[in-house]
Amino acid sequence: MDFFIQMLASGLSVGAVYALVGLGLNLTFWTTRVLNFGQGAVLMVGAMVTAVLIASGTHVIFAVAVALLTAAFILILIEALAVRPLAKATGSMGWIVSTLGAGILLQGLASWRFGTQAVAFPDVLFSSADTVQFLGAYISVQYIAVFVISVLIVVLMELFLRRSTWGYAVRAVAHDNEFAALLGIPVRRVVLASFMVSGLLAGVAGILVSQVSGTVDPGFGMHLLILAFVATVVGGMGSAFGSLVGGLLLGVLEKLVGGYWSPAAAEIVAFILLVGVLTIRPQGLFGKPEAVKV
Amino acid sequence: MLEVRNLQVSYGAIEAVRDVSLSARSGHITALIGANGAGKSSLMRAISGVTPATSGQILVNGRDITRLKPHERARVGVAHAMEGRRILHQHTVEENLVTAWHFRKPPGSFKQALEKVYSNFPVLAERRRAKAGTLSGGQQQMLILSMATQHEPPVVLLDEPSLGLAPIIVTQIFEYIKAYSAEGNRVVLLSEQMATLALKVADYGYVLKHGQVVFDGDRKQLNDGVADLSSAYLGTTG
Repeated sequence: MDFFIQMLASGLSVGAVYALVGLGLNLTFWTTRVLNFGQGAVLMVGAMVTAVLIASGTHVIFAVAVALLTAAFILILIEALAVRPLAKATGSMGWIVSTLGAGILLQGLASWRFGTQAVAFPDVLFSSADTVQFLGAYISVQYIAVFVISVLIVVLMELFLRRSTWGYAVRAVAHDNEFAALLGIPVRRVVLASFMVSGLLAGVAGILVSQVSGTVDPGFGMHLLILAFVATVVGGMGSAFGSLVGGLLLGVLEKLVGGYWSPAAAEIVAFILLVGVLTIRPQGLFGKPEAVKV
Repeated sequence: MLEVRNLQVSYGAIEAVRDVSLSARSGHITALIGANGAGKSSLMRAISGVTPATSGQILVNGRDITRLKPHERARVGVAHAMEGRRILHQHTVEENLVTAWHFRKPPGSFKQALEKVYSNFPVLAERRRAKAGTLSGGQQQMLILSMATQHEPPVVLLDEPSLGLAPIIVTQIFEYIKAYSAEGNRVVLLSEQMATLALKVADYGYVLKHGQVVFDGDRKQLNDGVADLSSAYLGTTG
């Protein structure tokens, strides 16, 4: 029972981070129909910058702020260099290569600058020794903090999208950017803002996931990106709430399978879940089927 | 007053609008008449800015708006209801209206504008919390029309507002358009494939063929020529 609760707690906290990563992916996908395959590397940069700055004696808050701004800035660069130029050719799938390339470039830069070895991630939120007792099991306070912060951000984003006029604008751009412009919505600014916020989300997610796993290395983002992508597709690409449910489902499943069977089987289960859900509901659990007019 | 001078619109090598000049007077309804592919939609898209014009000038009440981006033109008072009943399907009726109001930054109060919309089209008030995608065709057209006019812009472009609607709804919508134009001395430019339908509401009309103006005149002149026009330029007789 203790073991089960511990696995559940770590699954929920990791799953909430998947949701956060998925939300970042979703946000830029909505506004540009581009899936940013470079997002994984941005997670890594967020975590790496935090770890390196704290190791060199910088205050935690300052280190986190610099890391988040760096992540947001990188996303703006990705939009300007890897997404916008390709949008001019309608129907081009070049963004798959350009965003992936941006990610590989970032990963390469990090390996060159910081080495390919995993770096220990410092305690940003509480200490790894802090635990609380719940139903007889000891649960890390860090897990709880990571879970709470991630869920809070996802809920706030969903509220922003559903309840605020700027949220209406983001959804309008997502639905029909030409029509949105005719309503007076500054489409370019909405797109840029979506990349900036996506970068901030990636930075936060990178820091949170490293806090749970304890280390960060230049290659860790790609794995996370794939799992977040699965979570988002399972939950439904159009819905922040869907990302959350998909993320939690995947996180818990991954940890339970890893704990009771073998960690190596965790990814197998992730993809079985993906294929299974997509067979029954192609739009994801909470997605709305997209009708494309031709 | 909306003035278009020597407007040219090209998609690659295809010239959709060729050297079109026209003026649409305030307080009047001006029709663009032409068959499918005559360039009506391309002309409107160039006026609202969603398709940039290759060359030429567009003036609203004497102000040159040719270099403004589409969202800026929307803010200076050019409203464009595109063909194909474009609407925010996943937004509720009221969210559609809020979005259409807020970002154009009009003076005045949204609450009053909303009340006016609901008194013009009570069915929209009943369905204010419904997703716009679930409305009937006629209801969607009412919403589209309200989104284009609630902030009382001086220029309204309506691309085939009657398409696919029941005659009774078409009458209701045309009544609304007439009143809108007359009461505030505003420009309404509307496109129609059916000359006879356009002539029910329009005070003046331009007939387009292959991207060029081939005939223009007031209602009487168009009426007299409608038989010739239909066979010569429109391909179909309405």
